Amino acid sequence: MNPPLTRRDFLRGTTVAVLGASLGFSQDKALTKTSRVILIRHRDVLDENSKVNPDILQGMLDEAVMKLLGEPDPVAAFRRLVKPGETVGIKTNVWSYLPTPPELEAAIKRRVIDAGVAPDEIGLDDHTVRTNPLFVTATSLINVRPIRTHYLAGMSGCIKNYIMFAESQPDYHPDSCADLGSLFKLPQVQGKTRLNVLCVLTPQFHGRGPHNFNRRYVWNYKGLIVGQDPVAVDTIGLRLIMAKRREVLGKAQELPPVPKHIQLADTRHGIGTSDINRIELIKLGWNEDILV
Amino acid sequence: MADFGAKIPKKIGGLIASGRDQTFDRRTLYDYMDGGAEVYLAFDFREVFTRKYTDPGGREMTLDIYDMGSPEEAFGAFSCDREDPGAGIGQESEYGPGLLRFWQGRYFVTVTSSADDAAAAGAVLELGKEIVKILGLPGAKPDMVSFLPPDSLRPERTCYFHSVVNLNNRFFVASENILRLDRSTDCVFAEYAAGTDQSVQLLLIRYPDAGKASAARQSFLSSYLPEAGPDGLARTENKKWVLASVREKYLTVIFDAPSADAAKKIGESVKFPTK
Repeated sequence: MNPPLTRRDFLRGTTVAVLGASLGFSQDKALTKTSRVILIRHRDVLDENSKVNPDILQGMLDEAVMKLLGEPDPVAAFRRLVKPGETVGIKTNVWSYLPTPPELEAAIKRRVIDAGVAPDEIGLDDHTVRTNPLFVTATSLINVRPIRTHYLAGMSGCIKNYIMFAESQPDYHPDSCADLGSLFKLPQVQGKTRLNVLCVLTPQFHGRGPHNFNRRYVWNYKGLIVGQDPVAVDTIGLRLIMAKRREVLGKAQELPPVPKHIQLADTRHGIGTSDINRIELIKLGWNEDILV
Repeated sequence: MADFGAKIPKKIGGLIASGRDQTFDRRTLYDYMDGGAEVYLAFDFREVFTRKYTDPGGREMTLDIYDMGSPEEAFGAFSCDREDPGAGIGQESEYGPGLLRFWQGRYFVTVTSSADDAAAAGAVLELGKEIVKILGLPGAKPDMVSFLPPDSLRPERTCYFHSVVNLNNRFFVASENILRLDRSTDCVFAEYAAGTDQSVQLLLIRYPDAGKASAARQSFLSSYLPEAGPDGLARTENKKWVLASVREKYLTVIFDAPSADAAKKIGESVKFPTK
């Protein structure tokens, strides 16, 4: 068992190492593959009122998935993810203050249809995925949600987005939601996730209590983080949140307490990699104030 | 809280109560909160009354009144996460764009707004003032707040809680519960001014008995301060001092003291109750 991360790790400046890179020490890198993650941003995807430009967003999603899979066009890329005849569940997030933008849901659904999946075989759901017949029979899942800090888990990202598949959500809350990674081993989920899209158009980097949203703690980052490995995607998302917190709140509040579930999704549950040395991060598009 | 719905104004500025009022108790709080119910359940939370207000332009304001079971627990819920200036509402309050928080008696109240302009601020503060009228008499803070040494104390930074979740959101100590906090422990966290932009932190914990306090100290020292001697004192990487000491069922931890003597002085100044 690793020693706990403590405040003294911040003082030594080793926080990021403890959270990510050091994990590789105990693993044979020759036997482990790299997870590719795409960070794409566009200066004009949001207007001055933070309204989403759907065409630009579609283009960002397309470019990210093409680069992720090395395909020359978006439909070919999505055909690598889903096939005609499949049933596809798009696990979204409807938290009222910061939901998945409908324009992003529509962009994903459009490409799933383009890939040959019948429209009536595509589900879009959050709170009722456990019982939604379309999700019960789904052969593929696409995981999409916005990033935000979370009072218990430290960060709500793609791993935590699957908590609605749990029979009892509170069962996953102890110890800073340490075992959220096990959600990906539930029978309804295991082996089905084809794509993870962490929406970082307007990330929330801080919160005041467990049930709070405030515009002061949201900024227009105008990006998407896309990958097939939810742990790698969340690892990059966490680094973004930490960078913004360091910038605004100071180094002492760099870490949102305590996002251990991301590391444990790798080391305890083996559903992906949190080792930054094994994540191939490709940055596309707008580079200003990129932070990671 | 059943009669709150009738007593609270249904119109505030241009905002009208919308949807039905709702109440959630310890069993149903999970239905209201996305993964945060445990934070309130770690206190003696009883119920929360919630109402939404909207206007034709899509603005939204949300009222939450938490019955925390006692004034001590209401102060605790308020005191964690406090960051903004006071608003003069209730026993203590804070207001910043889009968020009013205050406590009065056994109740902790939040009013949030989707907008943060002057009209929204006016509505949030007006609603807060109306709510105070129905919450009854003030109550006392936790006794442990009075144990704190007063010299250089920043009272607006003092908070009271039971759970490691609250501690780590206020002042991250460790990713594991090395101080062995739970609902049976009472904690006060305080800051003391120590020069420009510098502060010393005092964490005072009351355990159910002296044995648990000693065991928690040992756990803390082995994980956080392994180089400390029997006095529980060591200098950390920021060239400041940490001290962990036990007196009966109380554990005191001083963080970031400028010197060993300063750490000891603050620790010795805690006004423990006499038997």
